[in-house]
Amino acid sequence: MGFLSTLLSLCGFGVGVSSGLVVGYFLFIYFQPTDVKDPVIRPLVEHDSESLQKLLPEIPLWVKNPDYDRVDWLNKFLEYVWPYLDKAICKTAKNTAKPIIAEQTAKYNIESVEFETLTLGSLPPTLQGMKVYLTDEKELIMEPSIKWAANPNITVVVKAYGLKATVQVVDFQVFAAPRITLKPLVPSFPCFAKIFVSLMEKPHVDFGLKLLGADLMSIPGLYRFVQDIIKDQVASMYLWPKTHEVQILDPTKAMQRPVGILHVKVLRAVKLRKKDLLGASDPYVKLKLTESKLPSKKTTVKHKNLNPEWNQEFTMVIKDLESQVLELSVYDWEQIGKHDKMGMNVVPMKELTPDEPKVLTLTLLKSMDPNDVSNDKERGQIMVELTYKPFKEDDLPKDFQESGTVLKAPEGTPPGGGVLVVIVHEAQDVEGKHHTNPYARIIFRGEERKTKHIKKNRDPRWEEEFLFMLDEPPVNDRLHAEVLSTSSRIGLLHPKESLGYVDISLSDVVSNKRINEKFHLIDSKNGRIQIELEWREAS
Amino acid sequence: MGLISGVVMGMVFGIALMAGWQHMMRYRSKKRIAKAVDIKLLSSLDRDDLKKICGENYPEWISFPVFEQVKWLNKQLAKLWPFVADAAEAVIKESVEPLLEDYRPTGITSLKFSKLSLGTVAPKIEGIRVQSLKKGQITMDIDLRWGGDPNIILGVEAALVASIPIQLKNLQVFTVIRAIFQLTDEIPCISAVVVALLAEPKPRIDYTLKAIGGSLTAIPGLSDMIDDTVNSIVTDMLQWPHRIVVPVGGTPVDLSELELKPQGKLTVTVVKANDLKNKEFIGKSDPYTVVYVRPLFKVKTKTIDNNLNPEWNQTFPLIVEDKETQSLIIEVFDKDVGQDEKLGVAKVRLIELEAERSKELELRLLPSHDMLKIKDKKDRGTITIQLFYHEFNKEEQLIALEEEKQILEARKKLKESGVLGSTVDALDGAASAVGSGINAGVGLVGSGVGAGVGLVSTGFGAVGSGLSKAGKFMGRTITGQSSNHRKSGSSTPVNSSVQENGGAKPL
Repeated sequence: MGFLSTLLSLCGFGVGVSSGLVVGYFLFIYFQPTDVKDPVIRPLVEHDSESLQKLLPEIPLWVKNPDYDRVDWLNKFLEYVWPYLDKAICKTAKNTAKPIIAEQTAKYNIESVEFETLTLGSLPPTLQGMKVYLTDEKELIMEPSIKWAANPNITVVVKAYGLKATVQVVDFQVFAAPRITLKPLVPSFPCFAKIFVSLMEKPHVDFGLKLLGADLMSIPGLYRFVQDIIKDQVASMYLWPKTHEVQILDPTKAMQRPVGILHVKVLRAVKLRKKDLLGASDPYVKLKLTESKLPSKKTTVKHKNLNPEWNQEFTMVIKDLESQVLELSVYDWEQIGKHDKMGMNVVPMKELTPDEPKVLTLTLLKSMDPNDVSNDKERGQIMVELTYKPFKEDDLPKDFQESGTVLKAPEGTPPGGGVLVVIVHEAQDVEGKHHTNPYARIIFRGEERKTKHIKKNRDPRWEEEFLFMLDEPPVNDRLHAEVLSTSSRIGLLHPKESLGYVDISLSDVVSNKRINEKFHLIDSKNGRIQIELEWREAS
Repeated sequence: MGLISGVVMGMVFGIALMAGWQHMMRYRSKKRIAKAVDIKLLSSLDRDDLKKICGENYPEWISFPVFEQVKWLNKQLAKLWPFVADAAEAVIKESVEPLLEDYRPTGITSLKFSKLSLGTVAPKIEGIRVQSLKKGQITMDIDLRWGGDPNIILGVEAALVASIPIQLKNLQVFTVIRAIFQLTDEIPCISAVVVALLAEPKPRIDYTLKAIGGSLTAIPGLSDMIDDTVNSIVTDMLQWPHRIVVPVGGTPVDLSELELKPQGKLTVTVVKANDLKNKEFIGKSDPYTVVYVRPLFKVKTKTIDNNLNPEWNQTFPLIVEDKETQSLIIEVFDKDVGQDEKLGVAKVRLIELEAERSKELELRLLPSHDMLKIKDKKDRGTITIQLFYHEFNKEEQLIALEEEKQILEARKKLKESGVLGSTVDALDGAASAVGSGINAGVGLVGSGVGAGVGLVSTGFGAVGSGLSKAGKFMGRTITGQSSNHRKSGSSTPVNSSVQENGGAKPL
């Protein structure tokens, strides 16, 4: 009897619980409105000390830390853009989701999956401060502190087997501290080649997920579990030092690294037109590559010759095969005055086949303008032989790769030895008593190298690289780097002066392989010089 | 019994569980919303808010200027600058050279950059202000200061003179850049960016000109011509309400809303002037008046000889593009054989006018538009004008726009043909037709001035360098005057005169 009664009561309890759950669901949850209202935001002045107390943990970083900058202007900007951004994002999301949904519904025999509402809400993400780091490398590092406490309303309606179910995401919150690194910096817009994004700490994620009106995330324990899973997932992908990389520019192009070498052999010209009043012209050929900063090359002058033969060879460095053009101009040499142009023509680099010599006979023109009437006149022809030799993958110039990686020394270095690379980047605040036309001189084991001179500049940039081939690591050696200035005027008074020097011990370089630092100059008020040192060991 | 109590117990338990869940839901939802509110609230703090939060411990390092400081951006910019400078060189060359070509004065046949490097000093952003003045638009004002050390060498070719390299040194730019972002629903959410320099405070661009391997005086008026070219480009292209509209993103949008276009017509009647100053030794001044809203479209009255209380009673229509920021400028000159002397200027801000209502004003003449540095209380007399502002409707606006285009077109053509002309008359036409317009004073560097250069009969025009009214048209008579120029150090005589015949009367 007792057993039966217990069994019955247990059964009753079971039935009671399930019916109770259903009743409770309809009583408390089902009728809950699922639309999201904009939260009421009272101005801060109206808050009392108690609600202020609650605010304190959320105080932006720029208030707390002087090294974070306030970015209210960006916040304002975001606030104004937000309604538009919201619409744009939602539209894109809907459009991208549609084909995926269509595919899935067909597979699982679901009638339809639809977004009933899709909005990210009225609250934009806010930046609670921006911090930047300055390093000596060619990179920009920013750390914004992003807090996005949104009030989105994303409702998905699933219809299957005649039943309808809604899933709603509300109160989505993400707090993250990403680090955005822009590197390497390159001299063409937008001035950086890649964006690296990584998270400095695990992000905080919180949201409400309502299934048929019931918030699953408020089941005790489940929320924490889900949050941990999300955090770990994100962390395993983006937590520093893991990064997400976005390529903006092709670094090869952006860095304007050479891609090959062009061998030009100027053979001869025929039937040039006379320019000089007396006697024949004195022609020479000028070769120039467009978009190249290197000086143009010239052949010798063939005096009094309208059918000159030069047979001279030149090499030129090609940086961009697609856009670069070789300009050949024939000039008439003059003892005095301006040299007259006798004609010109161009060869686009993309017309050349790699490693295949090509002899071209070009008709000389007055200018490259096709409408120029004076082009009809006979100006003669020029013969050139062009060979384009692209760099092989492995003999690409060494600093082609990303900075920060230490490369192997080239072949031919004695075993145990290597190459010491010294890159003189720039100097700051160097000042001479009489003149400041600085250049840097580095002395290593008595070997002296100089950078070019920069006129009247207290913050010169050289960016010059010097190589020293060594038999053994320079553990006990020092490098002497000095900034000097020479007078721009020719005179006996103060022809040269030192703007400061520094001796750098190289043992650190050997142990660290690479050092990039700003050194304070001795005998200078506040001068610094940035030198990058690298030790490339022979393999 | 057991069953019923079981069911009841179960019901109670189930309902309680649901109630608990619901309570939990509410609690968590409330917490999240409260947090969202807090974060929103703290995202835009002002001084009072912060004072309230921090109380005694108010952080000293925080201030709230109108233009928010952006130290972090400056740091990044300084680092990025060498690369930006490298990248910008080609872009600037490409975009500015055609501009120089358009705006170059007639005296110069070619104006090109032969060297351009932006130097090592990065511009500094003093502050940024973001506001939304109009729905769907964000206005960003950037206070930019650049005291750079760029190395700019201009290859200048003037008639009959070989190319001279001119170095532009010690460039300093102080200006507030206004960028207006037009928003849209399509990614990237910005359909167009409007860029302009704010007129108030006036953009300041200072530089020193230096001729390499020669003297600036080799071509008379050269430095002023360059000054003027720069000035014209700035005031007529960049300075608000003039603007550059850059479409962003792939979606084609209607940008006509953003472009500057005629907004209304201002009918100005220059009635008379009283008690003008006598600037002549013999007799009295011969006054005439120049009025304009845009320096591109200037009009002038006839000259009344020997009269210090002249009555003109002449009426001119002027086009207004932006009533909020534009002003009517009135300048009274004394017609002279040598140079025309300024008797005084006056300015009426158009925002003070009511539409469709006639207004008569008697204005005191001032020595200069920029009264910041001038301490001159002398009475220069008054000028009386009548103003009537009429706001265009859509059709009128289109017509006005079309007319304006035609005038500019015609001027351009005149310029092209005129540049080749060698007589003064031809140049006269050419000069007044310079696309950029701005027809205040120019004159001819007369034979007495530049005789050695051999430009005399070609009518080599030097451009007057009065502040924004730098002019570009040429008088028929040969005049000469030395005007105030910048630190250029050249002492070239330059003219600043408005002549009867040259004035382009566009409307």
